[in-house]
Amino acid sequence: MLALVARRLITAIPTLLAIILASFFLMRLAPGGPFDGERPLPPETQAALQTAYGLDKPLWEQAWLYISRLAQGDFGPSLVYRDFTVSELVAQGLPISLTLGGLAIALALLIGVSAGLFAAVQAGKAADKTIMMLATVATALPTFVTGPALALLFGLWLGLLPVSGTGEGWSWLIMPVVALALPVSGAIAKLTRAGLATVLKQDHIRTARARGLPETKILFKHGLRPALVPVASYLGPAAAGLLTGAVVVETVFGLPGLGRYFVQGALNRDYPLVLGVVTLYAALIILFNLFADLIYGWLDPRMRDG
Amino acid sequence: MRRLLNRVHWPLWVVLVLIALALILPLVLPWTYDQIDWEAVRAPAFSGSHIFGTDEIGRDRLARLAAGTQVTLMVAIAAALVSLVVGIAWGATAGWVGGKVDEAMMRFVDALYALPFMFIVILLMVIFGRSILLVFIGIGLVEWLTMARVVRGQVMTLKQRPFILAAEAAGTPPRTIILKHVLPNIAGVALAYLMLTVPQVVMVESFLSFLGLGVQEPLTSLGILVKEGADDMDMTPLGLLLPGGLLVIILVCLTIEGERLRDTFS
Amino acid sequence: MSLYEIRDMAIQIDGKQLVEGVNISVEAGKCTAIIGASGSGKSLSCLTPFGLTPGEAAGSIKLDGIDLLKANAHQKLKARSYLAGFVFQQPLTALTPHLTIGAQLKEAAAQAGPSALSRRELAQKLERVGLSRADERLDQFPHRLSGGERQRVMIAAAIAHQPKLLVADEPTSALDASLRGEIMTLLDELREEQGLAMLLVSHDLASIENHADHLIVMEEGRVVESGATVDLIARPHEDYTKRLMAATPRLDEPAPDLPATGDVLVGTKDVTVTFPKPGWRRGQIEAVVDASLTVRKGEALAVVGGSGSGKSTLGRAIAGIGPLTSGVISWRGEHLPERRDRNLAMRALIQPVFQDPVASLDPQWKLRDIISEPLKNLRPDINRQTREEMVFKALCDVELGEEYLDRTPASLSGGQAQRVAIARAIIAGPELLVLDEATSALDPLVGSSILQLLAELQRNKEISLILITHDIASARRICHRIAVLDEGHIVEMGEMESVIGNPQAVATQKLVAAS
Repeated sequence: MLALVARRLITAIPTLLAIILASFFLMRLAPGGPFDGERPLPPETQAALQTAYGLDKPLWEQAWLYISRLAQGDFGPSLVYRDFTVSELVAQGLPISLTLGGLAIALALLIGVSAGLFAAVQAGKAADKTIMMLATVATALPTFVTGPALALLFGLWLGLLPVSGTGEGWSWLIMPVVALALPVSGAIAKLTRAGLATVLKQDHIRTARARGLPETKILFKHGLRPALVPVASYLGPAAAGLLTGAVVVETVFGLPGLGRYFVQGALNRDYPLVLGVVTLYAALIILFNLFADLIYGWLDPRMRDG
Repeated sequence: MRRLLNRVHWPLWVVLVLIALALILPLVLPWTYDQIDWEAVRAPAFSGSHIFGTDEIGRDRLARLAAGTQVTLMVAIAAALVSLVVGIAWGATAGWVGGKVDEAMMRFVDALYALPFMFIVILLMVIFGRSILLVFIGIGLVEWLTMARVVRGQVMTLKQRPFILAAEAAGTPPRTIILKHVLPNIAGVALAYLMLTVPQVVMVESFLSFLGLGVQEPLTSLGILVKEGADDMDMTPLGLLLPGGLLVIILVCLTIEGERLRDTFS
Repeated sequence: MSLYEIRDMAIQIDGKQLVEGVNISVEAGKCTAIIGASGSGKSLSCLTPFGLTPGEAAGSIKLDGIDLLKANAHQKLKARSYLAGFVFQQPLTALTPHLTIGAQLKEAAAQAGPSALSRRELAQKLERVGLSRADERLDQFPHRLSGGERQRVMIAAAIAHQPKLLVADEPTSALDASLRGEIMTLLDELREEQGLAMLLVSHDLASIENHADHLIVMEEGRVVESGATVDLIARPHEDYTKRLMAATPRLDEPAPDLPATGDVLVGTKDVTVTFPKPGWRRGQIEAVVDASLTVRKGEALAVVGGSGSGKSTLGRAIAGIGPLTSGVISWRGEHLPERRDRNLAMRALIQPVFQDPVASLDPQWKLRDIISEPLKNLRPDINRQTREEMVFKALCDVELGEEYLDRTPASLSGGQAQRVAIARAIIAGPELLVLDEATSALDPLVGSSILQLLAELQRNKEISLILITHDIASARRICHRIAVLDEGHIVEMGEMESVIGNPQAVATQKLVAAS
């Protein structure tokens, strides 16, 4: 088990490096630069800025400089928010994005697994079909539709929840988290239901039944863990999906998270900011996949040997 | 073909009707999607010749919906086809050749799966300009991963099937085995996943357009319409609810149909 | 009054009557066996009374004085947990993958009521069923154990709560032939030791006839015949029973009269096949090592071995549909190149037939096209009309009619599909067929009719056969000679009668003993 974690962490480093380098060179291939404002700057100022930010050096050297600074935890200065370093912006945005994403995945797991479980127990009945239909609808709900729609309903019409910004207390979290969690919870419900349907037909369930165990014990002790294997393998893509969704949700609800910085940075060609966010995102996703692998091993001991 | 038609159920018919409407409406409506009616800014529904009213600068909503649906679905289908071709080529090669080649090819897919791909697409859009062609190439190149995995799995199991070995023993050349035995047997599953890829792509395209990174004005798409609606929702909620609802209906129908097909074939 | 008594039982699933008028009785300390083909309702009859199938039973079912049909759900649960224990067919999947052996054994022991078995006691239970290093195994997960070991764990768990009745549903049929005898002997011992009543279900008469006191023959949901095993085997009354007996090959039946053989047709010299280890690991797995054998014109050679012995790999190398690492395959003295280098003329000489008949036929193709596939490639000189005639003739050779031409594989039974596969194999006039477990996925009666068909082909068309199988007794019915494979090596080879009369290698002895 430890060996697996170690192996994953070691392979994560080249992956991360590859992502950083790819993004780095892609950004530099782009026409236009960060200092192309509405009014063109005088050439001398342009040149001075280029030198100040090290943009006049050869590309490879810039890349090397960037990575070696990154290794020390320095993401460099933001080119657009000129008074901030990227580290400062990230330090500000990351907690918000992590709170959003963490709560959303917890909520999605809670709703998804219990809905899937309930549907599986009711297999074939009306409740099962209704839940599965709802789950399909939920998976097809894009956050950029549900977000504004929720804001319209609960914010503007009913006036129950704040429409924008972080504000007081935690009520500002409700709508963004729900909008994020909905599609994921639908997918988890379907996976749980399908997983249980497969597992409950398997031989070892019959063995447990032959032992005279009560059905609830069969379900929870013998059935649920193997049934959740597909859910575990979905967690990686789900995390990526949540991060993407967070970009929209942060934009819609005006939250100063990482996603907003990413979009702003991309639109303004703020290289260090975009690179910083992409690096963080990639690291988060890799970490999350590792976490999913560990859950995998717990759910099915056969995976531990692989 | 008839077998295929018999398998079409109501969700797909809904989508087909919507496509037909999106194609026909622009020909019969008195307004085009970018034409401004100066006398009717933010007109309510059923006012004059504007069935669903007009937006905040006086453009006919229905005409814009039709145009947006056209663009969204066109991009989606094109990108799904790109993913189909790339996915089948990659997956079938890995599955058929097997061994270390397969191992390497699938590791590559696994690695890509773990990437924050949407961000790379966004980067691409930013860097190479926001052309519609790039939107669907970009999306298609992302969405092929699932197709490749599925096709590879199918080919791996097929390759072990005795009828493939029997065909080899019968002197059937490898090319013919792939064309006549392998492809027909994965066609159903590939079709199902193609159907499931389309809503994925619709989602991605609308997402990009929503952020202002996808389809560009004067062209419009459902994502752009949702964005415009969201910006103006305190004045005219219809502007958000119409394209949002339409988008959700298309996504739900395609997903149901795709999942049903997938369950029939696998 | 027997311990377990079923009178006039009928079983329905979704309103469909699947089993009717079944009587079963099992005495304490005795074994009653139900035998029948798949779909005969034998498993259904055993498991339904305990609520282990979706079926509904009617009639009278009494276990140790409790009427299971009148019992409420709670009593049924109790009957299941106190009185009966179960062993199922698939040891690989019958244990819960994420619970340790110890945890599952403990759970099984707790059926009889809350019990605090010590670790030592649990280990003893494993030792009793013949597992070594019992203490260590308590902490292992099922996937670390082999199939035979898992079946022993299943048995230990089934009797851990000291039930009065043990229901064993095909307990050995998923195991390697050489393991079957050991498991059956273990069950016999436990039965005697604990005075268990045992209800045994099997499709294979040969594997149970020495273990059952009482035999019940079922066909299509009805009991055909029942009686004491000795009487029934000596004097079967019903036609179905007689055919079943005839279809069950025995080593003590008289040696068959086989057609004469000619010159050496195919020979292998030091054939070795290795596979790279899966994943990125280095090293090779040796599937077949230095295998040398010959087959004469008109001769049938049995290649026998357990699973993983390399027998299929060797067969595929000879048929040119599998890899060959080193060694030489020759045809009438001429070199026969490996897989990709075989030309059409060489392909026409050897044709394979596989174990799973349904998977052998492309589900998208019509039978007409399936059967003519080899002709199109191997005999391009033949025109379309002749081809059609030959397809028809091949169908006749395998005793199927013209009406099959436009059917698809999905509409065929296992036996029919295997006949179609044989028709495809013989249509281009090969001289050698390589049959990989061609009858083992089929019911005994169907399997024996396929074997008969092969014997006719052997006689009428002088086709040579390589029969890859784990079942010596049925191979003996058509094979002149036998080669025994064990872990990739040919450990024994010779005339069929002399090898089974006096087996030398340990692997051969085990296989013969299991038949």
